[in-house]
Amino acid sequence: MDSALAASPVPPAAVFLPLVGVVLSVGLGRVSEQVRTIGLGVVCAATAVLSFWMIPGILDGKVFETYLLRITPTIWLHLRVDALGALFGATVALLWSLALVYSVGYMADGHRLGRYYAFFMMCLSWTLGVAYAGNLLTFLIFYELFSILTYPLVVHEETPAAMAAGTKYIIYILVGGSLVLLAVVFTFFLAGEQTLTAEGLLSADMDRTALLVVFWCYVLGFGVKAAIMPLHGWVPDAHPAAPAPFSAVLSGVMVAAGSFGIMRVVYQVFGVELLEEIGMMPYLAVVAAITIVFAAILAVSQDDLKRRLAYSTISQMGYVALGIGLLGMGSSIGAMVHIVNHAFMKGTLFLCAGLLIKRAGIRNVSEMAGAARRMPVTMAAFALAALGLIGTPPLSGFISKWYLGLGILEVDQPLYLAVLLGGALLAAIYLLPIVYAAYFKKPPAVATEADEEDGREAPLSMLVPTVVASALTLALGLGATLPGLPYSLAEIAVETFFR
Amino acid sequence: MEVYDIRPMLAPAISLACAGLVFLFGRNKYWRRFWMLSAATLKLVVVMSMLPGSLAGTVYVFEMMEFTPGIGLGFRADALGMFFAAVSSTLWLFTSVYAIGYMKGEGQRVRFFGFFALCISTTVGLAFAENLLTFFIFYEMLTICTYPLVIHDETAEALRAGRKYLIYTLIGGACILVGAVVVYDATGTLTLSRPGIVTTDLSLGTLALMFALLIGGFSVKAAVMPLHGWLPSAMVAPTPVSALLHAVAVVKAGAFGILRTIYNIFGVDVLEEVGFTGALAAIAGFTIIAASLVAIFQDNFKRRLAFSTISQLSYIVLAASLLTPFAATAAIVHIANQAFPKITMFFVAGAIQRKTGKTAVHELAGIGYRMPWTMGAFSVAAMSFIGMPLFAGFITKWYLSLGALETADYWVLVIMVVSSMLNAAYFLPVIYLAFFKISPETSMRVDEASPTLLAPILVCAAYVIVLGATTQVPGMPFSLAEAAVHFVFGM
Repeated sequence: MDSALAASPVPPAAVFLPLVGVVLSVGLGRVSEQVRTIGLGVVCAATAVLSFWMIPGILDGKVFETYLLRITPTIWLHLRVDALGALFGATVALLWSLALVYSVGYMADGHRLGRYYAFFMMCLSWTLGVAYAGNLLTFLIFYELFSILTYPLVVHEETPAAMAAGTKYIIYILVGGSLVLLAVVFTFFLAGEQTLTAEGLLSADMDRTALLVVFWCYVLGFGVKAAIMPLHGWVPDAHPAAPAPFSAVLSGVMVAAGSFGIMRVVYQVFGVELLEEIGMMPYLAVVAAITIVFAAILAVSQDDLKRRLAYSTISQMGYVALGIGLLGMGSSIGAMVHIVNHAFMKGTLFLCAGLLIKRAGIRNVSEMAGAARRMPVTMAAFALAALGLIGTPPLSGFISKWYLGLGILEVDQPLYLAVLLGGALLAAIYLLPIVYAAYFKKPPAVATEADEEDGREAPLSMLVPTVVASALTLALGLGATLPGLPYSLAEIAVETFFR
Repeated sequence: MEVYDIRPMLAPAISLACAGLVFLFGRNKYWRRFWMLSAATLKLVVVMSMLPGSLAGTVYVFEMMEFTPGIGLGFRADALGMFFAAVSSTLWLFTSVYAIGYMKGEGQRVRFFGFFALCISTTVGLAFAENLLTFFIFYEMLTICTYPLVIHDETAEALRAGRKYLIYTLIGGACILVGAVVVYDATGTLTLSRPGIVTTDLSLGTLALMFALLIGGFSVKAAVMPLHGWLPSAMVAPTPVSALLHAVAVVKAGAFGILRTIYNIFGVDVLEEVGFTGALAAIAGFTIIAASLVAIFQDNFKRRLAFSTISQLSYIVLAASLLTPFAATAAIVHIANQAFPKITMFFVAGAIQRKTGKTAVHELAGIGYRMPWTMGAFSVAAMSFIGMPLFAGFITKWYLSLGALETADYWVLVIMVVSSMLNAAYFLPVIYLAFFKISPETSMRVDEASPTLLAPILVCAAYVIVLGATTQVPGMPFSLAEAAVHFVFGM
């Protein structure tokens, strides 16, 4: 498929607009809290609009690109929006906007809001840069920026637990980032070219050992961020420690950025044919399968709600890695769609977890009894997203798992179907008891009286984004094949990658 | 194309004249400041005026007098020398502003600023030295001129450090002199204008002797382990001196000497054949890691920075000894990429010390709230050393990795990754303390150092990003490094 390149100012506008928000967060905070809220809302909404703006063009087969700045004699800071990038970018911008609106209520009485919003907006910028990066060096630049500058958000609460989680986070991320750097340099050395087009950069006549080293450097480096076991250590600590709106984007898109990196590497650096020849992908698939099952088992035993959700993220990202590892067209579509669907489902769950903490002081699963009576809307959103994650039709989680299942059959490895179903079953085991307790267990008498006054639904500023994210779970499921929704974009992407 | 031009001589002469004026008419502080700042500006203008020509491939030469037949006091502004001179004269201006603010109320300021100017005069002199003898003269003058700065406080500790400094560097200097004599005896010339003057016709023993004497001598100032002992003790000097010692003049003179030895005395082809640089690379690799490990355990802020300097300088030595074009680019640009972040850090350390009297890392808790701009600049510099893309340090890392891949020296990649981690291990705790560790007595009120201290800090930090992000913008010093590499490798 020959895609038409279109030079366009939209990608850099989308990437750098949030940086205006950084200035506003610090500057307008002094004026008044409300002015800042409005300012950031406008910036975030405009960014989201820009990221969706390109989708109709992408559907027509266009690729938007911009060269910004020459970094080395042959490599530019280069943004290039293809179908895969547009899919991820739109997800990022939308989830970020929801989380921003939610932050306004959630962080209202918090400390150091200027810092929080500044880094929140800055990381939106870098993450969009990752999505729209046109070559590996650009990818690396944005990837490292957002990895490291996320630290102030992870430790925002400044509790001892948060500080410890932050230290763990930064160590994991720096090691992972170094591996990616090595891989990128090595790729440049081997191929001399870095632009991420549909053809692979590396070819089979290169030194086999070098190719293997590069491959594993990439997979291990991105694997840290994508929480592939056993590189997942930072995830269960960072999520409970971070403020809820940030946990939502952390789980929804930042972990997924690692998986997104693996996709770029698999489809565009190596190319499907070369990887089939090298024969390393089955190992990735096995590791992914182990991740799906083990993380889910670990999730079952967590009492801290956010920790349980964090393990669930690890498990769900395993699905994505599995879809990539199988190297089939169907499984690849499944992996791409699952990134988007998971982002909104897990986003919803974390936003709900935040509401439970804020409004009812519930941090643990064991305290959930009767929560639905006090916060019916919140728990309805939670239940919908939980069902989606388990894979109940017609919700979005079902759609992505359906494609993954089809992909598994397509490459004729039915054993992985058992993993797929096992993961779904375990998801039911770790999520349904929460819903059950909230709806059908009687709350302890004491708690009811004590929380009579404040244990009610959250204000609309927090409730609306939660409900919208939850509704997206339904919408992305019902409308799965509509043009412009994830499936259509993933299809275009996969068609270019598997010619 | 070579052009006869007075400017290569004029640049060091301006600083020299400035030193004279400060010594003679420096009693009045306003005159002193005037001389300092106008000389620094003038010199920067002179050096920068050669930049367009230099970028276009012009080499400015100036001969003065002959000591012995064939060897005179000669100046020659080639691409490599221009790069070093541009970095030094830019930093001299910033350091002068900073020093004026920092030294307020100190004694012996005439002596201080006079020798300060002399130091920079000799640094630019050796950057533009046409032959090894001229280089050596300026190199030794630099040693002598720095001594009064190191012992400025005249405490017992300072005097001890000064003595140690002199012993180390004078022995190193003696080695260089002997090395230069051996080179002259064997080749009949000492010029630094060619990509290598020795040939493999000489016996291996002679070549080894030359290499050991010259590289060994220069390694003292470049603080390659185990010859680094003087540097941490010299930390007793006032902060502007530390900044100058560490970022610009002294250590870089050593590193620059190593570059000149490898590229202009031996030449890459000869060294490729005799293979001496393998050992040098190993020593430099060891220094990078070992110095970083030591740095982690230093609680004194300036000492931690000193060991970081030792580690970072060996990047230059390591890159130079890999003998590939990419690695050579890394070696040359790291002169600037180490200088700007490191001088930022020293300025920060000095500003904190002046403002709060704190000198230990563990005392820095919450300082980021009191001095947010200062610590923000520190964070930028730290990110550069960790190797964050778009910051100066990343450029070095990128080219060094490519160079290591070219020669299949994979261990260099390991060293580089481990070193980045170690850099994170000793710089990130400082940022962590400054911004995220708050004790009840932490003052939340912004209370920055005076503008003369703060402005150089911010400008240098901005340079760290400019150097990292704009290497390919025409007219940036990076293209000088490329031109130098082309010359050295005959490309």
